[in-house]
Amino acid sequence: MNPPRFEYYAPTGIEEIVGLLKKYGDDAKILAGGQSLLPLLKSRVVTIPCLISLSEVRGLSYIDERKDGVHVGAMTVDSDLEFSDIIKKHFPLILDCASQVADPLVRNTGTIGGNISHADPSNDFPSVMLAIGAKFVVQGESGTREISAEDFFVDTFETSMKHDEVLKEIILPYWGSNSYGAYGKFKKGTWNFSVAGVAVQLSMESGKINKAGIAITSMGPKAIKCTEAEKYLAGKKPDDSVLKHAAELIVGASQPSEDQYGSEKYKKEILRRLSIKTMGKAIKMDGGN
Amino acid sequence: MDLSEKFVKGNGTFVDDIHMPGMLYLGFVRSPYPRAKIKKISGGITHKDVNFDIAAVGEGSEEEQTFSSTAHPVLAKDFVGYVGQPVAAVYSTDPYEAEDLIDSVEVDYEPLPGISDPEKAIDFEPINPASKSNVIVDRYFGKEFPDNVGDVVIEGRFVNNRIATNPIEPRGIVTAYDGDKLTIWIGTQSIYSIKSGICEAMHLPAEKVRVIQTDTGGAFGLKGGLFPEYVVAAWLAMKEKRPVKWIETRREHLMASRPGRGAIAKLKLYADRSGKIKGLKGEVLVDNGAFTGGSGEFSPAFIAMQLAGAYHLENAYVRARSVLTNKAPQGPYRGAGRPEAMFFIEKMMDHLADKLKMDPVDLRLKNAAEERYRSPLGFEVEPSKKFLEAAIKETGYRELSKKYNTGFSFLILYHATSGGESARIQVKDGRLKVWIGGNAHGQRHDVFSKTLINEELGVDESLVDFQLGDTDQIPAGIGAWGSRSAMVAGSAVLMAARMLREKVEKKYGKYSLNHLLGEEWDAYHNFEYSKMESSLGVNVVTADVDDLGKVKIRDCISYYDAGRVLDPANAAGQIAGGSVQGISQALYEELAFDEDGQPLTSSISDAGVATADLLPKFTIKYYKSESTLPSKAKGIGEAPTIGVPIALSRALEKAMGREFNETPIRPELLLRETAVQ
Ligand SMILES: Cc1cc2nc3c(=O)[nH]c(=O)nc-3n(C[C@H](O)[C@H](O)[C@H](O)COP(=O)(O)OP(=O)(O)OC[C@H]3O[C@@H](n4cnc5c(N)ncnc54)[C@H](O)[C@@H]3O)c2cc1C
Repeated sequence: MNPPRFEYYAPTGIEEIVGLLKKYGDDAKILAGGQSLLPLLKSRVVTIPCLISLSEVRGLSYIDERKDGVHVGAMTVDSDLEFSDIIKKHFPLILDCASQVADPLVRNTGTIGGNISHADPSNDFPSVMLAIGAKFVVQGESGTREISAEDFFVDTFETSMKHDEVLKEIILPYWGSNSYGAYGKFKKGTWNFSVAGVAVQLSMESGKINKAGIAITSMGPKAIKCTEAEKYLAGKKPDDSVLKHAAELIVGASQPSEDQYGSEKYKKEILRRLSIKTMGKAIKMDGGN
Repeated sequence: MDLSEKFVKGNGTFVDDIHMPGMLYLGFVRSPYPRAKIKKISGGITHKDVNFDIAAVGEGSEEEQTFSSTAHPVLAKDFVGYVGQPVAAVYSTDPYEAEDLIDSVEVDYEPLPGISDPEKAIDFEPINPASKSNVIVDRYFGKEFPDNVGDVVIEGRFVNNRIATNPIEPRGIVTAYDGDKLTIWIGTQSIYSIKSGICEAMHLPAEKVRVIQTDTGGAFGLKGGLFPEYVVAAWLAMKEKRPVKWIETRREHLMASRPGRGAIAKLKLYADRSGKIKGLKGEVLVDNGAFTGGSGEFSPAFIAMQLAGAYHLENAYVRARSVLTNKAPQGPYRGAGRPEAMFFIEKMMDHLADKLKMDPVDLRLKNAAEERYRSPLGFEVEPSKKFLEAAIKETGYRELSKKYNTGFSFLILYHATSGGESARIQVKDGRLKVWIGGNAHGQRHDVFSKTLINEELGVDESLVDFQLGDTDQIPAGIGAWGSRSAMVAGSAVLMAARMLREKVEKKYGKYSLNHLLGEEWDAYHNFEYSKMESSLGVNVVTADVDDLGKVKIRDCISYYDAGRVLDPANAAGQIAGGSVQGISQALYEELAFDEDGQPLTSSISDAGVATADLLPKFTIKYYKSESTLPSKAKGIGEAPTIGVPIALSRALEKAMGREFNETPIRPELLLRETAVQ
């Protein structure tokens, strides 16, 4: 398990990184925590002649409360999110998700930016970002631009970032004080990755759902936002029959494929049950109502 | 430093920790096809350079017949039979470059349809041009009997799918040649298997080969035999007169090492209405893989001969076959035929109890052997009723089964004691060096050796240095497998210690520690033993399944006859570790293939090795007894991989209200129709 030969750069500024990406074109790739990239390199699934590390760029690891939302630096590692009071206060969904990603070793090294940019349909953070309605700040040759989570995930391992753009920051818009969230994950056997995952973000008002953000993991070529379920839940009092129907709508948005871990039918049934559970968990956080 | 401290602190010396100047690193070009003709190979070391076949050595090989036509070539000749089969080899002074060079070899294949399903392979065209049929073993055990021996019949098809052995340390070897003698450093269960295998395959005289064991990071059956890569490493060291290293990657391990299990049984069990079993009939089929040299040649017989379990069985007639498939050769995996046989008979006992509306434990009591007898299938069954009665009481089965979904398995463990084992003790400079023939790979044979020496000679354990295997230091021995070491290696150590005592007594009239430690002594004992011993065991597992189909194991209880428990801490370690493997087999582990034989399992996570967060608390108890061997011990290493899958599978049958006749249990089958929300 030795990777093929590669060049390694670790510049200190994003401009330099963008420059290198431009220069080397398809031969180059950004290296963040390496938790997805290194296994691919070592098993020689991919060959990347030029690796450009983000590790020497300062100021890419932070979790800040700002006016328009919580801002998270792309190089923030999963375990920082897992133990952040700011995240705990505003986005219990992220906390719930972070603690279910991989294992502590991977979480200490793997970054939120890498998890999202990798756009693996089995990675957990893409659906969480869709549920929250996150925005991504990317920097390229002509400066920075913002991409909404909905526009970001294009296909398996494919995002709308250009090859020479770098994901710098994630903006998580506030959902208000009565907002709750939970991440449901049903793992494949002894794997960290899931048969199905569901991210649920809710804001509540007098016992009713004001707004819902729902997206699913491992259920198609990319993380999928469940718009029908979100629309249906808005304004509803979340009783059993409402959750049941919402779960049907979530399943309706899924596109699982059969593999050794189960048939399409099985995976949809897992998603249905997991969705009801996870919505229930988020709603329960709305104390008393 | 204590051994466990040494390993935990990273101070072990495993094969890959050996570095020598001028070392060459080997890489292998492997078949990407389950079955193909090879039309041309350009580049690399090929069969034209290393034209040898793999010699069958290690566990069970003494019973093996000769299968020269289906022998595994070291490097493929004109066809390949499985994905991962070594076709050519490359090397470099840089391990990275060695991997790069793999792509430089061009192989022109003509792919042919492959077959992975052993039942379908029986009638499939022969996948080896040298054989007329894919069925390479076809034997009958017992005697035909009329179907009317019983009032009720239980019938079923039972499957243990293939699983990878997956020790933490994969395979690996270092070889060096000084112009006269070949030296091999290797993590192994038997330096003697490696030595005789290399000598036989390469036609080398015994005195020209020395095998030294390195610290060995687990084996589970994998490291008892010879593999093609080892022969290439030996050949290259001799050709280049430079040290050579090869270390297996996990991916190679999953493709091309010898996985275990891979057995199917179609059986009928006949009984009268009271539950007394009257006969057993049917067939066992072993998924051999594409070549012989693993354990597929002898495991059909080994499984069939054990099918009476620990019960009294009058009539039996079993056909046992092994069939070639387009997969890597099958090999021994912790239990090696024992877990398969017990799974088959115990499943039928449970289903018979269900049919007769009896408690499965009462059915077992009714059929437990009251006296020692030879089963019509071949093996001797020891009296088992008294043990069973004690086990029911000590495990608390009756109370547990009232409250929880409870599975109960009753096993007989046949120890691979025949062949005996050797030991050597050398006294020098006031300290003792000890070697034993079978090579430990995590079981801590050092601990029981020191205990026995202390008891026999009064030597403080801190004065004893346990040695790894080395054919120059201890010339003959067998190996560590088949739950044998505490029995035969323990006895050999004890006998060697007695020899020392006698030597001292002879010289000084009586034994004293001062005389022993004050001089130089050497004692080698070959403990000869020709019988296969056995012992009994019971596992009780309670478990539940949640509304998403996740299994939660509440209790995992082992009650074993271990004879004298020489080393309680490591015995508990063996049982807990084996139980983990049993749980893994029942729920997660499988090497999956598509129809042609293309592997679907490419990572250790996919292979399904259980992680610590999935495990229950283990309860371990022993039946008080002593074996008739000098060490008084009975083996337990394989007991949990036999008993736990059966008991867990049964607990889940109770939870789900359906039969589970296959390992692993598919997650889909653990989803209840209506969810409890
Ligand atoms: C054992 C194991 C278990 C795992 N289990 C899980 C799991 O349960 N759930 C889960 O979600 N993930 C899991 N993963 C994957 C892992 O968590 C993430 O994919 C990983 O953290 C990605 O982040 P990284 O920083 O390591 O990225 P890298 O591996 O360094 O990069 C991943 C990809 O993203 C690109 N990239 C990285 N950062 C940027 C950036 N700032 N801008 C643009 N492109 C960028 C890289 O070029 C590369 O293509 C597991 C990984 C391992 C090794």
